[in-house]
Amino acid sequence: MKRSVERILTTHVGSLPRPNDLIALYRDDAPDDRLLPRLQSAIADVVRRQAQSGIDVVNDGEFGKAMRRAVDYGAWWSYVYDRLAGFELREERAKEGRAAWTFGSKERREFAEFYAEEASAGQSGSAGGAAAPSATSSARMYGLTCTSPVKYTGHAVIRRDIENLTSALAGTSVQEAFMTAVSPATLQILPNKHYKTREDYTWALAEAIREEYKAIVDAGFILQIDDPALVDIYDWWFSLDGDIDGYRKWAAFQVEAVNHALDGLPEERVRFHICWGSWHGPHNGDVPLRSIVDLLLKVKAQAYSIEAGNVRHEHEWKVWNDTKLPAGKLLIPGFVSHATNVLEHPELVADRIVRFAKVVGRENVIAGTDCGLGGRVHPQIAWAKLAALAEGARLASKQLWS
Amino acid sequence: MRFSKERILTTHAGSLSRPADLIEMSRARSAGERKDDAAYARCLSAAVSDVVRRQHELGIDIPDDGEFGKPMAANYDYGAWWNYAFARMDGFSPAESVPESGHKKSSVAELALTSYGNRRDWQTFGEFYQDPESSGALLGSAARRRGRRPVCTGPVKYVGQAAIAADIANLKRALAAAGVEEGFMCSVGPGSFARGEDLHYKTEEEFVYAAADAMREEYKAIVDAGIVLQIDDPSLPDNWDMINPEPPLAEFKKFERVRIEALNHALRGLPQDRIRYHICWGSWHGPHTTDIPLHDIVDLVLSVNAGAYSVEAGNVRHEHEWRVWEQTKLPAGKLLIPGVVSHATNIVEHPQVVADRILRYARIVGRENVIAGTDCGLGGRIHPQIAWAKLATLAEGARLASRELWGQSSGGRTAR
Repeated sequence: MKRSVERILTTHVGSLPRPNDLIALYRDDAPDDRLLPRLQSAIADVVRRQAQSGIDVVNDGEFGKAMRRAVDYGAWWSYVYDRLAGFELREERAKEGRAAWTFGSKERREFAEFYAEEASAGQSGSAGGAAAPSATSSARMYGLTCTSPVKYTGHAVIRRDIENLTSALAGTSVQEAFMTAVSPATLQILPNKHYKTREDYTWALAEAIREEYKAIVDAGFILQIDDPALVDIYDWWFSLDGDIDGYRKWAAFQVEAVNHALDGLPEERVRFHICWGSWHGPHNGDVPLRSIVDLLLKVKAQAYSIEAGNVRHEHEWKVWNDTKLPAGKLLIPGFVSHATNVLEHPELVADRIVRFAKVVGRENVIAGTDCGLGGRVHPQIAWAKLAALAEGARLASKQLWS
Repeated sequence: MRFSKERILTTHAGSLSRPADLIEMSRARSAGERKDDAAYARCLSAAVSDVVRRQHELGIDIPDDGEFGKPMAANYDYGAWWNYAFARMDGFSPAESVPESGHKKSSVAELALTSYGNRRDWQTFGEFYQDPESSGALLGSAARRRGRRPVCTGPVKYVGQAAIAADIANLKRALAAAGVEEGFMCSVGPGSFARGEDLHYKTEEEFVYAAADAMREEYKAIVDAGIVLQIDDPSLPDNWDMINPEPPLAEFKKFERVRIEALNHALRGLPQDRIRYHICWGSWHGPHTTDIPLHDIVDLVLSVNAGAYSVEAGNVRHEHEWRVWEQTKLPAGKLLIPGVVSHATNIVEHPQVVADRILRYARIVGRENVIAGTDCGLGGRIHPQIAWAKLATLAEGARLASRELWGQSSGGRTAR
């Protein structure tokens, strides 16, 4: 994995804005002969555009993960809908919607009026959004329940994604690319009626999704595991009782499970992303990074991508003052965020980068985003944020290598 | 005005979330459905009592009336802070009776404020601003619903004596009931008020000075009542984006100096230590890429005859600007009210983030000269539950900062 040897490198968390016609093809369940050519050209475009925007470590924008509307927060995990066997839709659970997953959330009780408005306004969480929430990717997962042995069936699709990214990179000067895949901890949010215990279930999920991890690494790409669940499950399941111990026990097991899924894969080809969920809510039930950082560092990845560019987590750079980043590891803090439409000033981005560089060493910091920008902010803002990130990294590099 | 003598005091920029019954009454009145003045006055007075008590209970040291006397007819409304003044003025006609003036193009010889849709940030991010699904379009759609603001067609004259007297009475009664020593009240600055269309005055300068003379009545009423006067003047920084194409900085400052001088004219004879001056770069949820740096206008800000300056500092476009105060000395005896929580994100600031921001300012300008504030008014710009949570985290952050700055004993007043 590339490090910031001569300057601060840049990357992002994964999701980028899909072009409207690609969204329409997914929305209409277009046949492959219409979808695939456009998918391929859109990925070529998005790779080129990242490079032009000054992003060093690029990806396919997660375009192979279906997004059916412009505002959509769930494509990063709903893609497994088409790649995992063992699940069926249970109507009675689908009716519960998101509440079936967030039953233990203190924040959702305290801010019930806000969340009720959010639900009626789609996922934008503001009075501006008015699209039907049923059209979101996550809504496709409502009611999805494990009822038979879990099995990975996405071999052809991941091969397609790999080929698209490979051909998009050809002829560009990009030296490193990554591809995202979802974590076992995230998948085990889906209710289980088949396995005897949550542990058995999680283990089976790890075995299944491992096939996707392996395909990505074998193709020569950096594998990024997306694991927001590792931190946001505290809010969803444990915060009502303030049960930090129960949460840590759960999380420790999830780390074992993801390490099992990573068994035998080279650590230096893996980065691990956590965030506290990207919806535009108050997030004051987020578990502090400090409560989980020891477990996070047990994940067999070389780099850790962590939110640090929003007002709930910006102060947590101090965690690294007394938690040593192990030698050889990298941090990819978020320096620009989907959490506000306001564009980060490049000088603020530079200030944030320099803070981290001074604590963990400049060569161990790659400038990233809090979470994926696609589907979460308007495309014009998403691209402007990547440009601000690159500009901020240039300013910081000037300070750090002057 | 109170200084942060023993701990960091807290306040905010003015607008707070109106209760549903007050909004419904305002809506019905503005739609011409109902006009029960006595019932409205009772509802307003009760709402002001509640909102002062609630601020006090949350740990806000210097509260206001939430700007409840400035009617808001919908849950989301970014314009009440200056729209209210049209109802308190003579000399304006409904916009429908006057043909719309289009995009005013600026030249170096003559700077001109353009319409909203022709602002530079709006032009650069046109797709975003016109997208009904993005929250930045909120202002656009609200403005479309509201229609154009009234147009000046005759001599401007302040006729809001009864309205401001009622606002003052409501706030004073509420402050006394809550046992709060200092409260503030917002009033729009002449430069910000006189941004609308004008068909009467020969020059913009005449229009601005007429607004200054008229608004002075309101300023004086507030100060005379023993309430701290806050002048809301986002136009100072915000006009930069409204001048298209971008003007030379020196010309812009000349343009703004006229407005500052008009404001100082309106404030003549009023005690500086009873006046605070609020600027922000506009509160809509847009990218704000064309915001003028504070560095470029800080001398103008400090030339306003006020004792305190309230400035955005809690959003990602302006957070880094605390460094401005390393080079620009805050004059002795003046207060700085940086925004340490913001309407710009639904995420509630972590108290430690708030404390870190306060500490940065306290170390530069002196702890006693910093009051913790908000970027802009929270009412009408974010959900009420989030607005209140942000005031609570502001108070908590100020307690954490006070503990760092004065030691364990000075943790500040605890919320009750």
